[in-house]
Amino acid sequence: MEANEFVVRMEKITKIYPNGIAANRDVDFAIRKGEIHALIGENGAGKSTLMKILFGLEQPTDGTIYLNDERVTLSSPLEAISKGIGMVHQHFMLVPSLTVAENIVLGMAPTKGGLFIDYKEAVRLTREYSEKYNLFVEPDARVADIAVGMKQKVEILKALVRGAQVLILDEPTAVLTTQETVELFQELKNLKEQGFTIVFISHKLKEIKELTDRITIMRAGRSVGVYDTDTISEQEISRLMVGRDVVLRMDKPESVPGERVLCVEDLHYINEWDKKMLDGISFSVRQGEIVGIAGVEGNGQRELVDILFGLKVPDSGDAMIDGQSLIGLPQARIRTLGVSYVPEDRMTFGVAQTANIQENMVSDRFSQKRFNKGPLFNMKSLYDESDKLIMDYAVLCKSRSQEVGMLSGGNIQKVVVAREFSSDPILIIADQPTRGIDVGATELIRNKLVELSRAGAAVLLVSADLNEVMELSDNLIVMYNGQIAGYFDDGQWDDVMMGEYMLGLKRQSDEEIRRACHA
Amino acid sequence: MFGQFFQTIFQADFLFIIIRITAPILFAALAAVISEKAGVANIGLEGMMMITALFGFLFAYWTQSWVVGVLGAMLIGILLGLMMGFFSFKLKTDIILSGIAVNMLGTGGTIFLLYMFTGLRGNTGALVSPNILIPTIDIPLINKIPILGDMLSGHAILTYLAFIFVFVMRTFLYRTPLGLKIRAVGENPNAASSVGVSVIRMKYIAIAMSGALAGLGGAFMSMYYSQGWNQGMVAGRGFIALAAQAMGRGEPVGAMFSSVLFGLAQAMKTKVSGLRGMASYNYLIEMIPYVVTIIGLVFYAVSIKRKARRHQLRPIKEKLQ
Amino acid sequence: MRDKRMVLFGFVRGAAAIALALAVGTIFIFLSSDEPFTALKYLLIGPFVSFHGGVTAFNTQNFYQVLAAMIPTIFTGLAVCVMFSANQFNLAAEGCVLVGGFVGALVGIYVNMATGWHAVICVLAATVVCGLIMLIPSILKVKLGASEMVTSLMLNFVLLYIVLHFLNYHFADRSKGATMTYPFLDSAKISSIVPGNSKLTWGFVIALVISFVIWVFMYRTRWGYAIRMIGINESFSLYSGMNVGGTIVLSSVIGGMLSGMGGSLEVLGRYNTFVWRELPGYGWTGVTIAILAKNNPGLVPLAAFFLAYLNKGCQLMSTHSDVPSEMIDIIQAAIFLFFAAEQFLSGYRQKLVVKTTREELMKAESLKATEGE
Repeated sequence: MEANEFVVRMEKITKIYPNGIAANRDVDFAIRKGEIHALIGENGAGKSTLMKILFGLEQPTDGTIYLNDERVTLSSPLEAISKGIGMVHQHFMLVPSLTVAENIVLGMAPTKGGLFIDYKEAVRLTREYSEKYNLFVEPDARVADIAVGMKQKVEILKALVRGAQVLILDEPTAVLTTQETVELFQELKNLKEQGFTIVFISHKLKEIKELTDRITIMRAGRSVGVYDTDTISEQEISRLMVGRDVVLRMDKPESVPGERVLCVEDLHYINEWDKKMLDGISFSVRQGEIVGIAGVEGNGQRELVDILFGLKVPDSGDAMIDGQSLIGLPQARIRTLGVSYVPEDRMTFGVAQTANIQENMVSDRFSQKRFNKGPLFNMKSLYDESDKLIMDYAVLCKSRSQEVGMLSGGNIQKVVVAREFSSDPILIIADQPTRGIDVGATELIRNKLVELSRAGAAVLLVSADLNEVMELSDNLIVMYNGQIAGYFDDGQWDDVMMGEYMLGLKRQSDEEIRRACHA
Repeated sequence: MFGQFFQTIFQADFLFIIIRITAPILFAALAAVISEKAGVANIGLEGMMMITALFGFLFAYWTQSWVVGVLGAMLIGILLGLMMGFFSFKLKTDIILSGIAVNMLGTGGTIFLLYMFTGLRGNTGALVSPNILIPTIDIPLINKIPILGDMLSGHAILTYLAFIFVFVMRTFLYRTPLGLKIRAVGENPNAASSVGVSVIRMKYIAIAMSGALAGLGGAFMSMYYSQGWNQGMVAGRGFIALAAQAMGRGEPVGAMFSSVLFGLAQAMKTKVSGLRGMASYNYLIEMIPYVVTIIGLVFYAVSIKRKARRHQLRPIKEKLQ
Repeated sequence: MRDKRMVLFGFVRGAAAIALALAVGTIFIFLSSDEPFTALKYLLIGPFVSFHGGVTAFNTQNFYQVLAAMIPTIFTGLAVCVMFSANQFNLAAEGCVLVGGFVGALVGIYVNMATGWHAVICVLAATVVCGLIMLIPSILKVKLGASEMVTSLMLNFVLLYIVLHFLNYHFADRSKGATMTYPFLDSAKISSIVPGNSKLTWGFVIALVISFVIWVFMYRTRWGYAIRMIGINESFSLYSGMNVGGTIVLSSVIGGMLSGMGGSLEVLGRYNTFVWRELPGYGWTGVTIAILAKNNPGLVPLAAFFLAYLNKGCQLMSTHSDVPSEMIDIIQAAIFLFFAAEQFLSGYRQKLVVKTTREELMKAESLKATEGE
């Protein structure tokens, strides 16, 4: 194998973020000229970080990058662009009120006499590239008015016009409809034929098998292997991707499910880009059980949780707590029904950073009688409450009056969890409860979840961390493409099997899935 | 009474007054437009106008040249803009607060500076001479047309400039690469920086231009409109301009129309208060532009909200059909 | 450790901002004055010290005047604190002071009441009216999302002209040369608490009491708590189940009530008739005070004192030297800019953070080491 057949070589890349998380460890990554190369891995496996380094958005802590065998440092996206690397971000970097052509030439607009934008030239340029690479766009349309599929093409064109030879596409199909995906694949194959090199980040095995030449699989910040796509089976990919070093099973008492607390019936939700995010989801959660929802991110979990906590209204279907529908209720009402919620984005929804621990601990209950004496707060009971919670949840802090923002991630999450778990909830929705936090806090939060469920609470656990859902859940739902792909209530699951359901290789019969309703 | 009212309204000199009164508001409104386009809320326009009005006049007095005065006012405006930028972009003072600080400088600081430079207190009445005021021009041909000539001809050079700048500004924003970059920065800074456009630099440029335009407005006030600088001269025009910008949907032409609306209301006040029976309503008439602004903002807010809601409900509607 | 250092850092930074602002002021004094040292003397110690006949002594009357000047600004400072705490850039305190003064004056002139209660009713009427006025920008904000900043700025002018209209055409005392109302009834006047002509009235005591009350409200009641949490993080508050819209309206209404109260206490305490013909500017001073006090009502009197002192110093400076009193605005603007600058001295802050983190890490390491033994 000749070295110079690689357009990009990244060697021994290590990236340690200031908060101490090692996102990449000694990763080797190489792309051949003119191939479509898949980069695959679970959320948090380090794919994005690796690509951010290649696009100059992040600097590696260690390691070297070669472009066409020349050692380079990429200190900014501008530098990466000038060296022929283009990136299509998952969240589009477009200006909605500008036209397609204006977006494409932004920062490098052609001029007439050096003063005015030569808009005709911009349109011509857009057309030229659009035709040359078979990426159909309307140059004069405002970006705000065009469909997602076209926005993506605009992004690709933006990179091509700037002379990109290597295109990085970060989960490009996550936002696309099926038809748009088919189109995109055709376009990407086209580009490949014209000599472009493409890095394709995805979770979807079928797409990868269909589109790519080679595949690099990442797990926990390391590369676990590079394969020719033809020579590796989907099962094998799935195993490598989710496989675990140690199999842990928590010792938890047997669950004795009681009455149904949460009933979700046939939820449908289409997002603002007309993509079907929930496609007939029905299940229930009973007293005393933990129902886990596993799945690769972007398969409808986010929307499901948002609907259950009043942020989104479904197009059809219902969700009920003890027989009362919670659709369209304000958060305050949902809470009084006995729902508590550990949000995925704890810094936005979980805490008020510059308020102190005590204040954060009582944000859902401060108006209760026991904390007030007439118009005034009963400070003693507020202090007692927070001190008790700090103790119970082992929040590492100097005192209850320390600012929450000054705590470590794990301790911030403990504050959130302490509040949410201590309101005598009948249903706990825990969305990624242990993401990005230390082992100690993770352990504590998991134990508390089990404890609460055994004391009678219904728990809905949504997590992209497969280990977590497999360990904690009494019953397990796998979501794929806005639907339930499988429901498991026998405790007999392993990572290989999960991987196959999560990645859409397998699906249970409707009969089996319907068991999730416990009707 | 109404007969007399309409008689007064439909006179060439009334329209002349409207145009004259609109000009400074228009400069400031354009100043608000350009900074807002870059995502910078310039609440300091009021103070900027006060300060530049003073310096414009002083520069003109020192050099006995109105041109130097106008250019000096623009320069000071640019410096004030850059100062606000430095505190807000570099030292992270909230942009609203740096704007308020500039307004403070505008109310009291100007009096201090006037005294410091001239020994005068409160106004520059003593220094006024015709050659430092902005000259008016008669437009050949047009000034011969009855009514229209009286209305359009004989304004100060800066008055014409204000209206010309509306279209210059529109061209700048929509037809030049720099304008494109400024709009992109205001709307989606991430998108702009992802293609190598420096967000901070664009914001500096926008607020400096905003300062220059406020400078023109200030110079117009002291060197033409009030014939000299005095303390209460700007009288909230900077704030009105902010409202004109918002009501004009942030576009130069829209801002022009809302500025004319304010000009109209103020012109009415001067006219109507001279009429029998209307005199005792002069303050209420003076209030009109501000009430109109609030109403305009409400309509604007409602329309945006409705648009957003329609967007959100779309999938449901489709389902129902 | 970290918290203590940060508190210390806060003080250092505040002091540095003030010192820098005074330095800017000094530069301007040296640039403009022929007698800069006299000017500086009066600016800095004038409010406390009298220099009659070469004898320096504590100047009681001046001191009282400084305290008296705090009356309206404490109220507007508190008002702005409450509104800024809810993250509302509502600037209508300015107009509300004027209206409060006017309403207080009218009730003081036209309503005949037993002494004692009359003044109270005047102030209450002003308080209620201004509270209601604030419903306008806050409801427009909450229901329609109209920028409270622009509506409140416009509202200031609307209020000004309404007051001028009624002052000129309905309540003016035609026997006087200037436009003013008839004199207040004696029963409506707020009386002085000290001898002399300093206008240090009961309003000052009330202002201090209200500062405490507002502090209690903000830090010791469920409504104040909700206001603060919404100001820090609206999404968090919504998710916790708070009534965000209602609380924002509440904070604005309280801001209006405080401004109205301050305006009426000032007018009834300082004057005999209503004489304001323009916006008094206390609303803007209130913004500066709120910034200096970091939105903490407990610190408002302190910040108000500082500004009143500075203001008095500037007045004395202008009487006794050739520097105009408007100097205050330059110093105030400079304080404002530096004080509100988050990144001001951020390098120093970063060093403190790094140092603290290192120490904490070392402590953790040594703990681990001892545990290991």
